[in-house]
Amino acid sequence: MANVLWLQGGACSGNTMSFLNAQEPTVVELITDFGVNILWHPSIGLEIGHQVTHLLEDIIAGKVQMDIFVYEGSIIEGPKGTGTMNYFCDRPMKDWVRELAAVAGYTVAIGDCATWGGIPAVPPNPSESTGMQFLKKDKGGFLGANYVSKGGLPVINIPGCPAHPDWITQILVAISTGRIKDVLIDDYHRPKTFFTDFVQTGCPNAISFAQKVDGGFGKRGGCLFYEVGCRGPMTRASCNRILWNRQSSKTRANHPCLGCTEPGFPHNDLVKGSVFKTMKYLGFLPKEVPTGHAKLMYYARAGVEKVMGKLEMVAGIEKEHFETSK
Amino acid sequence: MSIVKELNISPVGRVEGDLDVKVFMENGVVTRAHTQAAMFRGFEKIMEGKDPQSGLIVTPRICGICGGSHLYCASSALDTVWQTTLPPNALLLRAIGQATETIQSIPRWFYAIFATDMANKKFANKKLYDEVTRRFAAYVGTSFQKGVTASGRPVEVYALFGGQWPHSSYMVPGGVMCAPTLKDITRASSIMNQFRNDWLETTWLGCSIERYMQIKSWDDMMAWVHENESQHNSDLGLMIRAGIEFGLDKFGQGVGKFLATGTYLHKDRYNKPTIDGRNEALISSSGFYDGNKYHEFNHMDVMEHVKHTWFEDVPAAHPWKQPLPTPVPSQNLEQTNVNEKYSWSKAPRYLGHAAEAGPLARVIMNANPKNLAHQIQDPLFGDIMQKMGPSVFTRVMARMHEAPRLYEYINQWLGQIDLDGEFYVKPEERDGLGFGATEAARGALAHWIEIKDGVIKNYQVIAPTTWNVGPNDDEHKSGPIEAALEGTEIEDQNDPVEVGMVARSFDSCLVCTVHAHDGKSGKELKRFKL
Repeated sequence: MANVLWLQGGACSGNTMSFLNAQEPTVVELITDFGVNILWHPSIGLEIGHQVTHLLEDIIAGKVQMDIFVYEGSIIEGPKGTGTMNYFCDRPMKDWVRELAAVAGYTVAIGDCATWGGIPAVPPNPSESTGMQFLKKDKGGFLGANYVSKGGLPVINIPGCPAHPDWITQILVAISTGRIKDVLIDDYHRPKTFFTDFVQTGCPNAISFAQKVDGGFGKRGGCLFYEVGCRGPMTRASCNRILWNRQSSKTRANHPCLGCTEPGFPHNDLVKGSVFKTMKYLGFLPKEVPTGHAKLMYYARAGVEKVMGKLEMVAGIEKEHFETSK
Repeated sequence: MSIVKELNISPVGRVEGDLDVKVFMENGVVTRAHTQAAMFRGFEKIMEGKDPQSGLIVTPRICGICGGSHLYCASSALDTVWQTTLPPNALLLRAIGQATETIQSIPRWFYAIFATDMANKKFANKKLYDEVTRRFAAYVGTSFQKGVTASGRPVEVYALFGGQWPHSSYMVPGGVMCAPTLKDITRASSIMNQFRNDWLETTWLGCSIERYMQIKSWDDMMAWVHENESQHNSDLGLMIRAGIEFGLDKFGQGVGKFLATGTYLHKDRYNKPTIDGRNEALISSSGFYDGNKYHEFNHMDVMEHVKHTWFEDVPAAHPWKQPLPTPVPSQNLEQTNVNEKYSWSKAPRYLGHAAEAGPLARVIMNANPKNLAHQIQDPLFGDIMQKMGPSVFTRVMARMHEAPRLYEYINQWLGQIDLDGEFYVKPEERDGLGFGATEAARGALAHWIEIKDGVIKNYQVIAPTTWNVGPNDDEHKSGPIEAALEGTEIEDQNDPVEVGMVARSFDSCLVCTVHAHDGKSGKELKRFKL
């Protein structure tokens, strides 16, 4: 049994929309069968019916136990650190968040805005947005590097834009069923169970990646890393292991991975040439190489593969692995 | 903040930021209403100076509910600047994305947001109240869970072509990223077929889609309700009977002027995208209806006002001409002076008029006798508007009316995809002005872009919620929801469910808090979370 409070700050509600698509378990099952009691949520706050300010005050005063504090959206600190660009219950949202985080059993940041600032924090960051405990890759964020919840953990980050519904529900279930000790977190406070493998794990184009066969928009087959900026080899997430909407994933639909579970999304702050294009040195070498590869070694190996592939094509050697069909 | 329990019962989906409404009442009637959007992120500012394609990633994240619609606009706006070529397959797959997002929102909105209000005790003395409560009460209603669960299915189709919903960027200038295969098409058709069997025909209509589509007038609709048990007892049959018994057709009229930017660009009529050629290429037509007459939609007739917005004052201007906003200090609702600046939302106006955006605006345009052969021609809401006029009830009927037609279109479009054809034609990047628009589930959505020196110089978005919840304009004229609340009779001041129903009938994508004030003393009476 766990009491959950869910608030939204500088949010688009995408994580809530994603959460409502949850299938195993569904949101209703989460509540009826998995011991999650939602104290309040901007969209499914049925259970409470209390007036929200008093509920928040009761939580802060210790009269109502809040086992899990879920926060979606950036922390808006603007203008000039006042937070008045985001009022909630007559106060800047950030003031509520600080007081609530102090009494939370566990604090969970959902989505990129809450974890590391997300799109609102892209320069010039007009709303002075930050994440709960990170701003992009830098630890600290709104609550500070040393924050730990009453349960002894820092903010548990479930990134993604949006986060996959299963990543959310399963962490809530883990906490509510007493399996929090099985939730190991990495350097960016992400649960390792979802964020150890790369998006490339399970991508149907992984062979094309290995053999350096280019893909592109509107084409079947081929790897999107070389030309259209796919970040699958640099991004830890289980998108190709736990599919989206039970059907697919970006890379399965020939959509380059945007790297949205890594701090810093949108990467390179949307500078010219960074959107759906692979940024390159000297016009042909990818600026960013797959995680775990030394750049020069990668270039050397990839170059050989590419040349060999072209030679084989010229020589008419068939590669059945790359055949595609409607 | 004091919140009345009964009004907290159905907050699902009112989830985009925070909206406060200040309502002044006299003798139980709303005399004045002001809407306040309470959160600022500055997306347009973020895009300045960035990669021209940034809108494909950034704008879907303005709103997690309408992300596919933003993507439809963002890609269209770039198409017009870069003068792309769009293969028929690309137009079909974009239309399918837009339509699946909209059709998922129909049951989600009806059950999770709107219909739970009909189970409010205000209606307890009505004959149909028990049946309404049995079906529509939040979470426990027999239709509630069925409808909410079914709503997740259409976006599975979106995911087949876009990878995921929400927040895909699969529509790009020049086409779409995906190149689906036979198995994707088959799977998509069968998911939609399940949606029809699980909810649309069985629970909602009580008849076949074909039978429902024969309804052309309000009299036809009433005859349909009484034609047989199955239709009479369907959720739609119940909604019509209870809606009239509960008097939902008697309040929430609004400004009486309607705007639709239209959507679903025809596969063979927008292969060379231009702003001027857009109106004629639409399947669901655009237009402005002033209460008497239809006017052709011209995006140059849109202006935004900021006199009551927390931005530095600038003269009302067309989006291409507007400077990027400079925020000024805001106040919480207590300290807000509604004669000054009081919202983060701008006030868009069409030919100087506040205009209602949404499904009702769309179906009114569908009834325009001038619609072309390839456009939707459906006289039903022309007739309903004449006989009943706009109201909470009319808005609900309009929203729900789109589901059967969208189902048919999605199937038809899936059938037209040519698996041997192109899906994307790589465009050449260039500078210039662009415009893209669509109809999000909740109404007219448009993007304006200016690209200079290969980066974004200006990006402006007007969302349906901006049209509907925007504040007063430079001449102190109310926005649509502000106007729709004026004159609403509140039966029980401690439980003004009427105010909630008006706001919800617009499906504004905002968490909406209503603050009720005494009209004379200005004293706050109550506050309600809707």
